[in-house]
Amino acid sequence: MDPAFLSFAILASLAGTVFAALVALLGVRAHHFAHILLAFSGAVGAVASIAFVVQDFEVLEIASVRLFFGMTFALDVFSAIFFAIVGLVSCLCSVYAIAYVRQSHEGYHIASLNAATALFVLGMQGVLLSTNVLGFMAFWELMSITSFFLVMADRKPASIKAALFYFVMTHLGAAAILTGFFVLAQGTILADFRTLAFSAQVIPAPALALTFFLFLFGFGSKAGLVPFHAWLPEAHPQAPSHISALMSGVMLKVAVYGFLRMMLFLIPSLPATFGLVIIGLGLASAIFGALYAVIERDIKRVLAFSSIENIGIIFTMIGVGAYAFANRLPGLLVVALLAAVFHCVSHALFKSGLFLAAGAIVHATGTRSLERMGGLAKRMPLLSGAFLVLALSAAALPPFGPFYGEWMFLQSLVQSLAAPTDGAVTGVLVLVLFAVVLASALAIFAMVKLFGIATLGAPRSEAAEKAVEPPASMNAPILLLALLLAWMGVFAPALVSLVGGKDLVSAANRLPAIEIVGIRPDASLVVPAAVFLGLLACLGLVFLLRRLLSDAKRERSYHTWNCGQPIDASMEYTATAFSAPIRFFFRFLLRTKNTVVAIPVVATNPWICRRELFLNLRSVWMDYGYLPIARTCLRAASIVRRVQSGSVQLYVAFIFLALLVTLVIAL
Amino acid sequence: MSPLLLTVIQAVLVLGLAPLTVGLVRWFKARLQGRQGAVPWLPYVALATMLRREMVISESTSWVFRLVPFVVCATGVFLVLILPLVSTGSALSAYSHFMLVAGVLALGSVFLVLGGLDSASAFGGMGSSREMTIASLVEPAVFAVFAAFAVASGHATIDGMVQTGGAALLVTPALLFSLIALVLIALAENARYPVDNPATHLELTMVHEAMVLEYSGPYLAMVEYASALRLTVFLLLLANFTVPTSFLFHPSAWQTGATAAVLVGTFLKLLLGSFLLALLETSIVKMRFYRMQEYLSLAFVIALAGLLLTLFL
Repeated sequence: MDPAFLSFAILASLAGTVFAALVALLGVRAHHFAHILLAFSGAVGAVASIAFVVQDFEVLEIASVRLFFGMTFALDVFSAIFFAIVGLVSCLCSVYAIAYVRQSHEGYHIASLNAATALFVLGMQGVLLSTNVLGFMAFWELMSITSFFLVMADRKPASIKAALFYFVMTHLGAAAILTGFFVLAQGTILADFRTLAFSAQVIPAPALALTFFLFLFGFGSKAGLVPFHAWLPEAHPQAPSHISALMSGVMLKVAVYGFLRMMLFLIPSLPATFGLVIIGLGLASAIFGALYAVIERDIKRVLAFSSIENIGIIFTMIGVGAYAFANRLPGLLVVALLAAVFHCVSHALFKSGLFLAAGAIVHATGTRSLERMGGLAKRMPLLSGAFLVLALSAAALPPFGPFYGEWMFLQSLVQSLAAPTDGAVTGVLVLVLFAVVLASALAIFAMVKLFGIATLGAPRSEAAEKAVEPPASMNAPILLLALLLAWMGVFAPALVSLVGGKDLVSAANRLPAIEIVGIRPDASLVVPAAVFLGLLACLGLVFLLRRLLSDAKRERSYHTWNCGQPIDASMEYTATAFSAPIRFFFRFLLRTKNTVVAIPVVATNPWICRRELFLNLRSVWMDYGYLPIARTCLRAASIVRRVQSGSVQLYVAFIFLALLVTLVIAL
Repeated sequence: MSPLLLTVIQAVLVLGLAPLTVGLVRWFKARLQGRQGAVPWLPYVALATMLRREMVISESTSWVFRLVPFVVCATGVFLVLILPLVSTGSALSAYSHFMLVAGVLALGSVFLVLGGLDSASAFGGMGSSREMTIASLVEPAVFAVFAAFAVASGHATIDGMVQTGGAALLVTPALLFSLIALVLIALAENARYPVDNPATHLELTMVHEAMVLEYSGPYLAMVEYASALRLTVFLLLLANFTVPTSFLFHPSAWQTGATAAVLVGTFLKLLLGSFLLALLETSIVKMRFYRMQEYLSLAFVIALAGLLLTLFL
């Protein structure tokens, strides 16, 4: 396709998004139109950027704005992949939102919600298209501020609190990123990325280290990297579900994109220790995210913690890349970055699908607590079928797409073990291998709990008993995402070669002289399509044998056996009970508190009593990290406040003192 | 000998022998415990009976409950097709990549767990929760074992890894640790002592049997057959990791003598494997479930020792 046509399509997508924001402001009547417009422009953007990736252009220039000192907006292969994710997910979320926002009981202000949604999408698109610091930061702020308003869309106290927490964290992060840019670009805000890439190779080591840590904090806090993650499980679940899908599925990926892009500049000059820092934080996120996803009982918080886990795995991949490059294993760098991008794509698909499904379930049951769900598979077969596929994908099980990303990464780790390297490197790789395996094993547990407790068994509340399938316009995006993940499972190698290790590195290039050594994902030996078909064939074989060997018709329905006693839903295992073994085995990390309160029922006999169990799922990071910092800040503030005595003479003295100090410093 | 024929032979042999393995274990166990014991081929009769029985399906269950036996059985059949159990170098041997094997094993466990949860009883939930815990926490040990074999043999497929069996074990003795860990993994994955008690239905200690409690008739037959299949696969795999590959069919070598050796060898492997399993189960007791992390970390540490010794020696 003609590059001019493609860049026109991208521009049209941006214009459509802006127009959708304007239309949305017209109010409730424009609700349909605004979302259709947003969906359409998202689809156009996705198709255009996929078309761009398929063809072999280096860079697609979108627009050059003279107004602000000549800013250029452009796509390369690397940002086009993320642009495609943004387009696709925002398209599906808009289709979903048409019915979802309409029938929601939360009392959203529809006009502002829709307008903010469109501007949020615009912000993410703009970040991906920017090639200089000013544009990047401007759109980054647009993305942050609109999402701040979106988190408190239902205007409940809990949401406002979460949104403010998010606001503080995201702006600390933005300040860090901006400072990082300043240090890297030697004080100018108009530097474009090419200049940054150049100066990353010439600036002195302390400045490089400072930049690295600023970027790590800035992008890491936006992406939900432990220990800067505490806002994420508060903010993501409070937003309306299609916004949660956008935030978890796409916004985190934009943060990863920013970090990855900067890392591609920095990696050539980074010492191995910094790779270890990324690996450490990534593994901590992966394991803590997975553990909290296992023990959490709120359907949307489970998904938020699972996002932290996946972001942790992605950061670990990036860290392994940096570490491998510093230790002269460039092949591992390529595979690790490839796996990171692949995992970004698959996480975007399954996590937005899961959030959309969770939204439909929350709407049907009127609660976010897993303990009041159950029996939905029987009542919403289509939705729960898609939910099952999405949950299995999130658990990285075959034959779905995400499994192959993990395969690529773990296999290359094992292969690098066999390669002759020094002991320390091998030790790090072994540690990474097992930590990632443990995190993904816990992720399987979390996803099984999520699906099993929410949809299987008997309904645990009246609302769950009356649940019905959501309207087709809400079901369709979820089903489509599930299909896409199955499709990814069949065509994983095609997708990998599309993302292409060499392309990725050379397009984002700036990495001098990378040699791609033997390690490539073994797509030639194992064909994912054959795995998919093989499993299907085995299923068919089993089905056929069962038909041949026994009479299929003879069955009757009866209640579940309960030792001859009547049974009801309160005897079912709950999410709390289901995760009890993991809570017990990992109690040294989780530090959950069980309190049993016994209230005697009969005054004469202390043994007959009512027992209540309180389970406190505390967050170690809040208790030992954030809250002490907050308390210290408040204490410091209250000390400083004593200065505010109200006496004018004192203020004049302060002004005089300040003047004196300034003069002393200046002269 | 064409690789495709080898796959077919392996499939027929293993799929046919699976119930016998379970019967043998039970028979050996009974004899070792001083009981008469049922004939080893009783599982065939039991399966045939179950296939003819009427099914009772719980009212609370959904389509997932009906899907579970098929998926669990299919993952077992898939493993039989790809793994080197009776023959190496068969048509699908390239697919016995350890990631895929671990993934398919986990897929089977996950579906069993979902089946247990769908029955809406405390038993099913309890079994599911425990099975899921064991299945997920055993995963690091599984990867440690396979990574050690991969490094030692230079192959990522299990088909290549079994080359380290027999005399090759003497070259890399560190793999003995990996083998021990693999035994511990096999016990956990197959719900045997000391992880689970396969003989009880009503103890609060049970894991696997609790999950399948609500299945009956043909579905129960499928689930039981799948677990018999898994046990057979693990016994043969363990045997193949220890004995030389000359006890396996190979596309290049095919004579009458070798054929007889392989057939007798396979039968002996199963016989010896089930005897050792029965011996183990009569000589040790089941561990309390809440001490399982000790067992699983032990398995992991042994496997890790195997890997590190392979890497650094």
